[in-house]
Amino acid sequence: MLAELEQASGGLWPYLVVIVIGFLPTEVWRVAGVLAGRNLDENSQVMVWVRMVATALVAGVVAKLLMSPSGALAVVPLWGRLGALAAGVAVYFVARRSVLAGLFAGEMVLIGVCLRGSQL
Amino acid sequence: MRLAGQPEANGAMFWFPFRAGVRQAAGLPSLVLMASLIGVGGLTRDIGYPIWAGVLSTLLLWAGPAQVLLFGSLAAGASLPAIAVAVSLSSIRFFPMVVSILPLLRGPGVGTGRLLFGAHFVAVTAWTEGRRLLPSLPVEQRYPFFIGFSITVMAAATFATGAGYYLIAALPAAFAAALLFTTPMFFTLSLVAGSRTLADWAALGLGFALAPLATALVGQDFDLLVVGLVGGTLAYGIHRMRGVR
Repeated sequence: MLAELEQASGGLWPYLVVIVIGFLPTEVWRVAGVLAGRNLDENSQVMVWVRMVATALVAGVVAKLLMSPSGALAVVPLWGRLGALAAGVAVYFVARRSVLAGLFAGEMVLIGVCLRGSQL
Repeated sequence: MRLAGQPEANGAMFWFPFRAGVRQAAGLPSLVLMASLIGVGGLTRDIGYPIWAGVLSTLLLWAGPAQVLLFGSLAAGASLPAIAVAVSLSSIRFFPMVVSILPLLRGPGVGTGRLLFGAHFVAVTAWTEGRRLLPSLPVEQRYPFFIGFSITVMAAATFATGAGYYLIAALPAAFAAALLFTTPMFFTLSLVAGSRTLADWAALGLGFALAPLATALVGQDFDLLVVGLVGGTLAYGIHRMRGVR
């Protein structure tokens, strides 16, 4: 059935996929957030909990991106990915809380591991 | 008395903070998002989709990890309903993120329609920068500042998605890996920069540490749900224990 739909939609199929399989399942959470949070007090305990859940979710996304990476990042060994992340955070603090310095350092370590791996 | 200059004054009240938001976005935030989205352009090309499908995905999804998941799963030949569910589960974070930034966006003349428009731009960058910068602004300037900031970073990222469509294959492997590493590195630094209390740090650490465990226990799809609820609730418990003492 999907194949027939793909046939019928012609060149529009990729856009349909982006909208129906990508956009709608993502946007539903933003809309739900507005509807649920419209009347919540910013200093309420529920809000503190919600912020903790959001932080844990973003940290979880980071872990997933590093544990099961896609594309060229998969070539870098796990220790290299985690080491680069740790280096970035360490430099962030050493450079007096500079996100730019931390990001740059992390990227450099990752590129270093990558180049070293390709020479071996 | 009607003031002749009133409409212009109202316009200035919107565009002054809007431009401040544009300026704030023009440096590091835009560069980071460009680096993150170049790879998405490459993924779009890999599965034989037109460039505008990749560009549209940045404008509509506005969620790097979800876009990688969408195009990566299409490349792997997963079924469409399964991909939709996986994409949705990976985007659950937007619910608590929107709820927690809403109090900062609310202001005079910002009704539900405008909040829905503003919420579309909520992603890690706008969320962390918004929580950092908005509290110091006067209430009536917050919404236009946020919109100016968000539209600027989205424009930069959308351009990068299109550029990446042609560029990514020509890049050396180490550079391509570094681009893909931008998202996890920047997300981490954003969280670290925003962490003040022990509970914040606990939420960060638990989210990171619980993820592999949750994947092993409940699988690739529902793991983030478990990570958010368990890690967030444990961190909230720490917040309560310290508050009581």
